[in-house]
Amino acid sequence: MESSGSSFYLMESVTTKPIHSWNVRICHWINVVACGYLLVSGIHIFLDFPELYWGNTGFRGHPAVFKLEQLGMSWEMAGSLGDRRWGRNYHFTFVWVFLINGLIYVGWSLYTRHFKNRMVPRPDELTKAHLAEEVRDQLRWNWRRVMEPGSYATLQKVSYLLLIFVYVPFMILSGVAQSPGFTAAMPWLLDIFGGRQSARTLHSVGTVFFVVFVGVHLLEIAATGFIKQVGAMVTGGGKKSG
Amino acid sequence: MDNPQLTPDRRISRRKWLASAPALGGLLLTACSRDQFMPPVVRGGLIGVADVLTMSSNRLLLSGQQLAREYTRAHISDPFPVWNQRNPRNPEYQKHAAEGFKNYRVPVTGLVNKPVELSLDQIRSIPARTQITAHVCEQGWSAIGEWTGAPLKLILEAAGGVKPQGRYVVVDTWDRWYEGYDMFDVNHAQTMLAYGLNGKDLPRGNGEPLRLRVERLCGYKQLKFVKSIQVVDSMLGIGKGTGGINSDNDWHWYAGV
Repeated sequence: MESSGSSFYLMESVTTKPIHSWNVRICHWINVVACGYLLVSGIHIFLDFPELYWGNTGFRGHPAVFKLEQLGMSWEMAGSLGDRRWGRNYHFTFVWVFLINGLIYVGWSLYTRHFKNRMVPRPDELTKAHLAEEVRDQLRWNWRRVMEPGSYATLQKVSYLLLIFVYVPFMILSGVAQSPGFTAAMPWLLDIFGGRQSARTLHSVGTVFFVVFVGVHLLEIAATGFIKQVGAMVTGGGKKSG
Repeated sequence: MDNPQLTPDRRISRRKWLASAPALGGLLLTACSRDQFMPPVVRGGLIGVADVLTMSSNRLLLSGQQLAREYTRAHISDPFPVWNQRNPRNPEYQKHAAEGFKNYRVPVTGLVNKPVELSLDQIRSIPARTQITAHVCEQGWSAIGEWTGAPLKLILEAAGGVKPQGRYVVVDTWDRWYEGYDMFDVNHAQTMLAYGLNGKDLPRGNGEPLRLRVERLCGYKQLKFVKSIQVVDSMLGIGKGTGGINSDNDWHWYAGV
């Protein structure tokens, strides 16, 4: 495919090596489906009990830290929108898809040194000056670092690593801390979150964070060429030589 | 194909086999019965596979029969919330209620050695257990109560004990709810027929005169207004045959999550 676009990105891409390896691509799209289902089904579960509490106990009438009513949606309205049976069935199905897919991704990435080579920031990237420059670039809507083929910007690397190794375990644990079965086996789950209802509240806050992450992720993709970026995640983004 | 009874056998068995594959590891590890790791009927498709993964991972972690956390009196929610069924309209139930449950009898039948009908006094004479535990509703709320009752295991022993082929205990209620429980949960130390809540008789809205407590499961398995107890070797032929009213209505039979 002859490209008339003359961005430095294309000119520098003389390699035929794909930007995204096939395992990253497959895991990414399975993850999109799984996280999509997890988000929608989680919202359904929440809508059928649209209040959040802190501590060990929480029920209708108990002092709440958040009520959907505060945003103008009545309990009945939320209940008519939510379907927690569907939500529970799909939440607990796709969490397994997410988990198994995630473990394959992490295992594979450790095996191929994907984390080490592509995602752990180099020492020179972690200097104050470099980080300040990246933040400045971001604020000026300058995407040259993200545009470099086959490499991530430092902020991107740090975000992905925090997402995989901090956020995901946090969401899994705060989810499991709501389960009477898992907490009977591992009561410390209740203690690390300060109670079952606190875990539910934090799990919900984490959901909002996830929506923000996806929003920023899509914004960055749009800013750096939506078609090209999504294409690279589908085909790998390797260039044909000549 | 909505009616499971009309589904060809072969399809069920293939699905069952596929869905049981993940649990196989657990089975081999502990050499325990299938019941510990799989619901009586495995749903089709990806949901069924996930059901088995959820249940078997949960049960593997619980294979030491750990107790659900017990709290102190300071944690108790009083008054305890009343949710869903409040007062069965069944005339026979209402008659017992009007008599103060004086003539109330709970039949314990099926695969037990000596079927009996237990009065409330007989149930109260069984060595009681009191536990302060969290009631966890699948909907998202939770409350802590002090439950007093007779361990289900001792109730079954009062009926001469379970015959070797007994696999599930079916609890029927006055509000048309029924559920099946496998022996793993039935034999658990905290599983009881509760007649007291927070130091008083069980209030009407919480299941007077008897409610089941199965502390490692969600609220939809904590049946109120217990009417009868039956031990069976299979859930087929009871309701839609899936193992309980919730799974008949497409909820996961295993309510540990």
